[in-house]
Amino acid sequence: MRLEPTMKQMVIRRTVRKFAEARISPVTEEIDRTGVFPMEIIEELGKLHYFGLEIPAEYGGAGLDAVSYAIVVEEISRTCAAFGLCISVHNSVSANPVYQFGNEAQRKTFLVPMAQGQKIGTFCLTEPNAGSDVSSIETVAVRDKDTYVLNGNKIFVTNGGLSGVNLIFASTNTSHKKKEFTVFIVESKREGLEKGPVEELMGMRGNPVCPIALNDCRVPADNRLGAEGQGLKIALSTLAGGRIGIASQALGIAQASLDVSLKYAKERYQFGKPLYEFGAIQNYLANMATRVEGARLLIHRSAYLRDQGLAHTKEAAMAKLYASEVAVEATRIGLQIHGGYGYTKAYPIERYYRDAKACEIYEGTSEVQRMVIARSLESE
Amino acid sequence: MPSIRIDRHRMTIIREGVESIINPIDCVALEAALELREREGGEITVISMGPPQSEEALREALAFGADQSILLTDPAFAGADTLATSHVLARAITRLMPFPDLVLCGKQTIDSDTGHVGPQIAEELDLPQVCGVHEIHLDGDSLMVKRLYDGFLDTLRVSLPALLTVSHEISVPHHIPLGNLEKAFSEGEVIRWGLEHLDLTEEEVGLCGSATRVWKLHKAAAKRGGDIASGSPQRLAEHLIRKLEALSIIDEEEGKG
Repeated sequence: MRLEPTMKQMVIRRTVRKFAEARISPVTEEIDRTGVFPMEIIEELGKLHYFGLEIPAEYGGAGLDAVSYAIVVEEISRTCAAFGLCISVHNSVSANPVYQFGNEAQRKTFLVPMAQGQKIGTFCLTEPNAGSDVSSIETVAVRDKDTYVLNGNKIFVTNGGLSGVNLIFASTNTSHKKKEFTVFIVESKREGLEKGPVEELMGMRGNPVCPIALNDCRVPADNRLGAEGQGLKIALSTLAGGRIGIASQALGIAQASLDVSLKYAKERYQFGKPLYEFGAIQNYLANMATRVEGARLLIHRSAYLRDQGLAHTKEAAMAKLYASEVAVEATRIGLQIHGGYGYTKAYPIERYYRDAKACEIYEGTSEVQRMVIARSLESE
Repeated sequence: MPSIRIDRHRMTIIREGVESIINPIDCVALEAALELREREGGEITVISMGPPQSEEALREALAFGADQSILLTDPAFAGADTLATSHVLARAITRLMPFPDLVLCGKQTIDSDTGHVGPQIAEELDLPQVCGVHEIHLDGDSLMVKRLYDGFLDTLRVSLPALLTVSHEISVPHHIPLGNLEKAFSEGEVIRWGLEHLDLTEEEVGLCGSATRVWKLHKAAAKRGGDIASGSPQRLAEHLIRKLEALSIIDEEEGKG
């Protein structure tokens, strides 16, 4: 059993960190303040394969394994959680499903520009009355000859404000008692798709999360992803990878919190000595470091299982659950270590604190992750 | 920051298990080579002497855009000073077919910072050399290069083959696309040459082949300089103003610098 990263994975980590520190770090505060992504960085990320991380090279992607993918998302998120979220959601729950379940024509039409960052992707599942309870979605797709007509409202769409390709999750047989779900690839410029105003969020500011409304949106049958009724299977398969991505994002936030808290504790003097020499602070940092390492191991194990083609639903849920809770705790304790200064915008810890909370909510709440794990334990 | 471990017997740094990086200015030199290749054509071979884990850096060089990577590695090479290092590198260069038109090096490394190796290779191979170059152009069958030296801007014509060492100003290394890294690590080949491949003896290389010996190696104690003060912001500001006035950095009356 090998627990250390490979040579390639170490170089990938170093490469991503270099890029993040050079290009993203100088604009992170501005992104949080204005809530706007600089498009020139999106273009650069596209050319460097950040939007096709696990997509094979023949479609313009980087062709990375899942562990390397997790490392990339972690390192980007360490510098800017909003960018980490953009990359994770685009890769895991938008580009990947098109690759896994799309036919060759769909891969050429949609996947190639997505992998190169020319079209950013979304996965539209949540609705006003359907959050954790996916079966309550009300968006419908009705077949009309060689098209489907979609009607419904999707909310909290990550990347929505800058997306070019949207995977819409709709029900296709409302007449039956048991709903059937289908996924459709809907281009942002398609008539009948309207984007609402970008949400004013507590954290992850910069990611243009917005509602997407579908009003008699006519979509060619060729845009259907997989078969009718395959939507739930696509969603469940996609979410496992998505959880590894979001877990990595949470880990990046937690690691950043540990980095700045360690630095502050060594520099800040009280009662004639650095904070680091106080037992209480040492305990905080020791706990933080241990839990960060634990989260990393859980993430890498679930990614490793994914790379081996083995079942990893439970492990991915564990990784997401644990890493997100570690991020919330690490940022809370980190802010406490920073004291009054941590409560100001002069230090980044308050941004990490605001960013971390979302990790316990999206891509399946902590409550849903526990449900998934418990169900898995039940069948063991 | 990981702690440095020292082999007290050989007075060398223990490199095993330590992540190695490409010397930053060598990345600059490689970027300059890529720009030259884009303008004039040609092939880029990256050569490095180091322990086996240096393969990591050489694969990174392939991902960066090099056509070929060669790692010179042998237990006998260990402990080399700059003379022994440049001797091995020079021998490897003579083994390249065809002999290169241009050898590009970074001006110095960030570890020992001597700047010796490039000039030593040039001397051994009897190549014209210019150090600290920040511009290179091919002009016919020679190079026009520019470098800043003692406050003067030199423009020199250099006949080929030649060796140049570059300064940071020559180029900005690009960020490596992640797919290039994947390809370099899955399909790329790093050629390995040891003592036998280079037709060298143990006496010529490593510690044995070094003209200098490290006598003593220890971490310099970093003194925490400055004045640590604590108190309310008001008191700290007053304290700082008094200090800056005492050092004549600000004027007592005008309160300006």
